[in-house]
Formats: sequence, structure tokens, C-alpha cells
Amino acid sequence: MQRILIVEDSATMRSLLASTLEDLGSSVKITEASSGFEALRCLPREEYDLVVTDINMPDINGLELVSFVRSNEKYSAIPLVIVSTEGSERDREKGLGLGADAYLVKPFDPETLRQVARDLLERPGRGR
Amino acid sequence: MSGAEAPPSTVGWENLARGAANLGVDDEEDVELRRELLSFRLGESPYAIPVERVREIVRMREITIVPRMPSWVLGVVALRGEVVQVVDLRMRLGLAPCEPSRRSRIIVLHGDDEAVTAILVDAVEAVLRIPEDSVSPASGSELGAVTELCEHGGEFVSLIDVDRVLEFCAGRS
Amino acid sequence: MAARRSKAKSAAKKPAQDSSKSKAYGEFISEAEEILERLRQDLADLADQRTSANEVEPDLVNRIFRSAHSLKGLAGMFGLEGIGDLAHHMEDVLDGLRLGRISMEAPAVDLLDSAVDLFTASLADLDNPELQEQQAGHIAEMIQRIDSAVEPPAERPDELAGLPIDPALLRALTEYEEHRLRENVRRNRHVALVDSTFEIIAFEEGLSELSTAIREVGEVVSTLPSPGDAPESQIRFSLLVATEISTEQLMSRLDLCSANVRELRRASTAAELTPPAAPAPASSSGTESSVQPSAEAPEIPGTTVATPAALDAPVQRPELRSESPDIESLRSISETVRVDIRKLDELMNLVGELVIQRNAIANVASRLMSDSGTARMGAELSKTHKLLDRKLKELQAGVLDVRMVPMRQIFEKLSRVVRRLRRDHEKEVELEFKGADTELDKLIVEQLVDPLMHVVRNAFDHAIESASDRVAAGKPSEATILIQAFQRGNHVVIEVRDDGCGIDPHAVRASAEARGLVDPEDMLSHKETLDLIFSPGLSTREEVNGTSGRGVGMDVVRSNLAALGGMVDVTSSVGEGSAVTLTVPITLAIIQALIVGVGEHRFAIPLNSVLETLLVENSEIQHSEGREILNLRGDALLLVRLADEFDLDAQSDGSKQYVVVLGMGEQRVGLLVDRLQGQQDTVIKPIKGPVRQIPGIAGATELGDQGAVLVVDVSHIVSESSRRREAA
Repeated sequence: MQRILIVEDSATMRSLLASTLEDLGSSVKITEASSGFEALRCLPREEYDLVVTDINMPDINGLELVSFVRSNEKYSAIPLVIVSTEGSERDREKGLGLGADAYLVKPFDPETLRQVARDLLERPGRGR
Repeated sequence: MSGAEAPPSTVGWENLARGAANLGVDDEEDVELRRELLSFRLGESPYAIPVERVREIVRMREITIVPRMPSWVLGVVALRGEVVQVVDLRMRLGLAPCEPSRRSRIIVLHGDDEAVTAILVDAVEAVLRIPEDSVSPASGSELGAVTELCEHGGEFVSLIDVDRVLEFCAGRS
Repeated sequence: MAARRSKAKSAAKKPAQDSSKSKAYGEFISEAEEILERLRQDLADLADQRTSANEVEPDLVNRIFRSAHSLKGLAGMFGLEGIGDLAHHMEDVLDGLRLGRISMEAPAVDLLDSAVDLFTASLADLDNPELQEQQAGHIAEMIQRIDSAVEPPAERPDELAGLPIDPALLRALTEYEEHRLRENVRRNRHVALVDSTFEIIAFEEGLSELSTAIREVGEVVSTLPSPGDAPESQIRFSLLVATEISTEQLMSRLDLCSANVRELRRASTAAELTPPAAPAPASSSGTESSVQPSAEAPEIPGTTVATPAALDAPVQRPELRSESPDIESLRSISETVRVDIRKLDELMNLVGELVIQRNAIANVASRLMSDSGTARMGAELSKTHKLLDRKLKELQAGVLDVRMVPMRQIFEKLSRVVRRLRRDHEKEVELEFKGADTELDKLIVEQLVDPLMHVVRNAFDHAIESASDRVAAGKPSEATILIQAFQRGNHVVIEVRDDGCGIDPHAVRASAEARGLVDPEDMLSHKETLDLIFSPGLSTREEVNGTSGRGVGMDVVRSNLAALGGMVDVTSSVGEGSAVTLTVPITLAIIQALIVGVGEHRFAIPLNSVLETLLVENSEIQHSEGREILNLRGDALLLVRLADEFDLDAQSDGSKQYVVVLGMGEQRVGLLVDRLQGQQDTVIKPIKGPVRQIPGIAGATELGDQGAVLVVDVSHIVSESSRRREAA
């Protein structure tokens, strides 16, 4: 079982992300969080194998979430993908600088996202 | 105008269609070349419309007369929550009017929302599967509503262009 | 024929992507609509704030930006390039705005309203390739306008230099948050870092309490979570905060929240603020090492400073609105469900079907009771029917209630339109609203928007004089348009009253004569003359402008209202102003109807328009100028025979007649019928078929026992008869 946490405030985008990632296979279990706060609440409940997050959200932004995940020993090994409309180099640098593993720009290509997710899920030597 | 003695009920035209489909097994190519038509009678003459335009066929039922309507609109009928105008196809095609009989049927046609329409015919016959090459253009028909003819069972069946009939109706109002 | 056939088939198919996507597509449309609605409201607030002297709320601008941003993301996801592009350009303007690169006064900001309208229109036309193409043209044009209205970014020094902020925190700031931080420094506010640790299972409550307390006195620029001392169970939040009050004051305010406050920047006092404080030279960025105390802000990084309170600037509530309802709004979101109006319609239809079945049960019960053999069973059934009836009424009321929306929704739209008109036409108009809480069926509200918009535009364009003309006429230079809604019985009345020039009856008359609508010989009363403005094609102004005119006018308003079962009325006095009154039923869904008989025909009359019914002797009916009139308690009531109205054979016994007194707005008409056949709850259905409009018939309803019954269009009868009265 591979658990993926999707953090995205737009319901439509969230369901698109979910349906894209569900196609990875039946062993994937997806949890959806509609805000950064919700994500913070989800994190301790399950051991996630991948977190996919938006940047622009109303409570805490995706960068802050990435920073939190990376600074917390318990979660620091979870692969992180940012999927954002923020196309600017600056945000990409920031996201990757904070420790995100990939940065996709919306509109994302479903196959690319799946490929990135697959690679990260299968990455050898993930600390778990 | 109150109609038939039998309680109103829907004749499953799907059954008609299924019966017709069982007549012969066609390969896909063949399907392309055939038309499915619902045939019915106005007086003695056979007419037909494309099956895909037919939503349902119901028995004659009470038609509520609507004032200020053109003469070829008989009135309205209530159909499971919808209220739909009934066009007297005889009058629309310029034929002599005739009292509805036990065999009279109301054919409800598909349409977008408001455009659902029902037509009154004297009797519904069958679903025909007519090879494309037995359809020939018709000329000089009533109001241009009959655009094609086809031969079936030794008779010439008039194919009605439903859209033209309805367009004309809408134009008149 | 073959072509037609394939057309019919392809029309049956929706543009199908894969199924998950087409479901998402529906969600996209409704989410987009929701975003657009919020966007409109926020833009309206923005317009208000721009005109006021205070700083525009940064949260508001950011919210608008996020809306545009979401639209862009959604449109992009569905490959809708045109509107995606449009949203992108809106986003650019808003991004510039929130990051301070574009000034609030920029002309590009004025274009946002129109861009939102265009987006909405394009969204509505998505299914129509032809219209979509048209919209694409409009979009390209709009984008061009936005582009040319955007000013080059102004150069700004970097105010962040010298702030002793933890680089970890700085790294997690989005560009926007960085900008907000800069902006706050530029505005010489105190900056502090507020740390607080919460149990991870319940952090939200505590955190929102803390943020709310801070927002009362300042702005939360960023909220960074980090592991607490016990990372398994705790979470720490570092809030980057900018306030008008000093760190000490902030600390005492946050006393109860058990938070740590650390001062990062101290606002300079007025004395220190030498004329427009020369900003410190921009250094590359706020790295930790470059602690470079700027001239106006002596810093003691990393420690909590205790300064005598006397030094502090007087406590002032910043203009940031102290909106604590952050919690409130969260709550309301979680308790609100978004429902597709079509689902409500389905539900309503279902209730309608139940109502019909209930009527059928009542019929059976009364049949059983009329036979002595089954009377007992009949009575029992009748009792059950009454119980069912009561519950059904509650269900009805419940479903109806869900459909009700306040007039406020329309009012907000109207105020946006007027705001735009005001900008374009430089007339001074104050728009006043009353009765925003008056509720109406959602469907009616939707149908009411256009007519109401038209009436208001008319008032703005034609009735309101220029400021100078007004002053010359001894009026205040600022005109007022008052729009008020109130409930009257089963109708809602919306009145649009202006204090403009009024309608000149002579001009109306002349215009009507010129178009052959009125014979020059005709004698018309003042009211009859005014009513001419509802005639097709009549406009008293020759010029055509962008907002109203163009040939369509009040006649369209009248027919729109008639379609709703409502009506429109006008009163006016030259030089003093006019009032246009729209009257609509509260709901279209389920109505009580009076069933009447004429000859062998039956008709339903909506009970909300029936004032009373009378049984009159034929001898009581008087004749006047070829019209039949009844003396009703001293007033002359004009009579109309339903049989004549619809060319039917009447069948009354000759000596007595029933009169159904209809009232709509101010007008009264007595309808003569043969029989009264009781009341029924009915659901009015549209009549489908080739003939689209049947004058005098509002629709049809299904009765429990047999077939369809036509519903009389009361507004048509009432307005026709009053027109005929004029003619007489």
C-alpha cells in the first residue's frame, strides 16, 4: 500500500490530482486535504509515501508546508511534489531549495505527474 | 376532446425496435447502410420517421384544448410531469381531419427541452430497417415535409422530415 | 436525411473526455461560477476601498489575486486557452497590485470588472462553438486592453535588508508574503515574530485564536509551522506579524495565548521620521549576517526589548478592518452545502408529483365517503390524507425555503453596474438599497436581474440629469436612485425610484404618435400616456448609447416580467423623478390555484393573484362604454369574460355568474367564469411544443384525476384589460 497526501484548496483541482494519481494502480491510497492546516492534521495520522501540494492556499502556503515536513524528523524523508500555478523561476527555486523533490507547473500533464510520482515512490533507500 | 376507453399507457416501442432487430443479424457495415424507421398510418397511407427521433409512443388520452392555437395544434397532453403540445399530423400535411380512433397513437418526439413535441397519427405499424439504396428522393410533397420515399411491402412509404415539419410549425407561431 | 441523422446522433453526445474528467468538468463549471461570484463581490469592495483614503486591505487584494489564480489554474487544466489566458492577464495585474508593482490607481484595475464579466460570459458559451469564437475575439481585445493599461513596474528599494529574520523563515515566504513584509516596513510598522506551540491534534483552534487576536491590531504576514519540542505530539507556529502597536503592547494583548513575541523591527517615532525617510540602500537580501540597522530603526535582534511606554506612538487601531469573523467564516463554510439548482428543481418536481398524488388520494377518499357502504373507510382515508397533507406542506415549505435567496444578490450586481456607469459617464449618483433581506425564489431572482438592470440603467441614462443641470434646477448635484424591495402578500415588489427629470408625457405621446402607436385623436390620461413607454419600439430619446436604448426597452422588461407571472408599472412627475415598480410572485414552484370552469373547459388561476370571489346576479353587471362593470363596494370593477378572452363557449345557467377578482400591483380586474371548482396545489409546467408563446396562458398543470389544466396568465389579462379600458 502506498499512501499519497494531496494538499490543494481547489476542489476541482484536487479531484483531478486524485484521479490522475489513482491511475497509478490499485495499491495507491489517496488522502485529500483541502488546506495546509488540514495537511498538518493528516500528517501524524498516517505514514505517507508521497505528498503532493499546491503553493497558494489560504492558511499556510505550500512552501511553508514543505519547510515543515523537511524540518520534522518524522516526516523529513517523505518525497514532496509541488504542483503550482506559480511558474516563476523564483518560486521554483524556493520550492526546490526548501527540499521539494519536484516542481510541476499547472496545468500539469497527467502522465508527467504520474511518472514523477512513480519515480519518487520507487526511489530506493527512502528512509522508512 | 376526450379519447380512448383504454387507460393511457405507454406502448413499449423499445419492444418494437427489439423485434425488428431480431429479424436479422447484421454486421456493422450493414448497419451503416440501413435506416431504422418507425412507420405509421395516416388514413390508408403509410408514413415513417427516423426511429431515433421517437421518444415514446402513447395511447390516445385526454387532450386539453388550448385557446388561441393554430388549428393543427390539437391541444396539450400531460406526460409524466411534462405538458406537451400535440400536433395533428393530418392537418399539418394538409389531409382531411379525422376523429381519433382506438388505434390512434401519440408519438412523442425528442427535442431540446421546450422543443419536445407530440404528433397524433392514426396507427403505429412497425419499425422498418430499410436499406439505404431503396430510399429515393420525393418531389412535390405537401409543404416539403415528405422529402424521401422508400418501398416496403409493396407500398411506397413517405419519409417525413420531422425537422421541417416542426420548423414550419414554429415559424407559423 | 443521412446527414440529419448523424447530426441527431452527435447532438446526443456530450463532448466527452474520459469520464472522471467530464465529471470534474461539471465541478469545474460550478467552482468557477462560485469563484466568479466571490470575485465580483471582492472587486466591488476593492472599488470602494480604492476611492477611500485608507490603504486597501492587503487581504482583499490577495483574495482577488487568488481567485484569478484559481480560475487560471482551472481553465488551464481543461485546456480552455482563451479564458485561461484572460485569467492569466487578470492574475498578472492583480499580482502586480498585491506585490505593489502596479499602483491602485492604475487604469488596468478598472478593467478587472469587465474582464470578470467577459470570463463569465465565455464560460456560459463554452458549449457553443460559434459564440465561443466570438468570445475569443472579445478576449483577445480585452487582453490587449489590459496589456496596454499596465504600467511599467516602479523601482523600489529593498526594505527587507537589515531585518533579523531567520533565513529558514524567509525562504518559505512566497513572493507575495515578502512583498507584504516590505510594504509593512515601508509603512513604518513594527515587525515581530510570534511563536506558539500547540498540541498537534487541536492546533487550529488555538492558532486561529492567536491569529485573530493579532489581526485586531495588525497583519499576519506568514504562518510557518515547525516541529515543536515534542515533535510527535506538538507543532510550533511562527507568525511573522506587522503591527501599528509596539511589541510590548502586542505582548500584553497576546498574554492569554501563551505566545512568545520577539521584536524584529521597531517602528520609528514621528520625530525620527525625517521627511520621506530615505530608504536604506538596497542590499542583496536579508541574510542573517547582514544585520544593518537602518537609520530609522534601531534594532536589537533576537531579544525582547522593554522600552518605556512613553516612547511608543499612541495606540491606534490600524485601518485594517478588525474583522474577527475568520472563525465565523470558517464555520459558515463547513455548514453550507453547495447545491446545483437543477437538483433543487428535481426535488421540487418530486414534491410536485407527491402533491398530485395527494390530490388523487383526496379524490378517492371523498368518493368512498359519498357511499354509505364505504363511508367509514373513506373517513379513515380522509384522516390519513390530512396527516399526509400536513407533512407534505412542511416538506414543501422546506424545499421552497432552500430555494429562497435574498434580494441582496441582485443588489450587489446592480451596485457594480452603477459603479461602472458612474465611472464612464461622470454623473453623480448615489445608489440606495432597502429591503436587501427580502427573499425570492432563486429562479425568479435570476430572471429578474436583466429587467431590473435595464430599469436602473434607464434611470441612470435618461432620468438623471448632469450635475450642473441639477444644480440649475435647484436640486442637490448628487442624484439618488433608491431601490427597495418588500413583500406584499404573495408577491415581492421592487421599486426603482429616482429623483431625476421625470418622464415627459408630451414627449412620450409625440414619440408614440410618430411611430403610429397612438392615434393623434386618442384621448389618453396621464397614466395611460406613461404606460406607452412599455410599447414595443418606443424610446423617447433618439440617441443610442452603450448602456440602454438600442430599440429594446421597457417592452422587453414588461414581457420578461409577464413570463414570470409578474408585472411592471411606472409613475412619474416631470422635474421630480420617476418610480418603476416590478411585481413578481415569491415563488414559481408550487402554487395554490383556483380551478374554474368555463363551458366544458377548466382553467387554473394562481391564488396569489386572486383577491376574492363573488357570486353575482346578471342584473348586477352594469354596462359602460361597451365594457361590463361591477360595482364592488363603491368602486367600479372592470369585468372580463374568460370565455370571450379565449373564444370559448360559455355555459352559465344565465342568471348568475362567478366573478374572480384578480389583483396585480395596483390593478384590479373581475374575471367572469361559469363555475368554481375548488383549490389545488399545483406545479406550473411550461408547455412544450412548436408554439412557444400562448398569449394569456402562463403554463399548464397536471391535476390528480385527469390530464392537463391550463394556467391563466393573470398579468396578461390584467394588462390587456387596462389597455382596452384606455381604448374605450
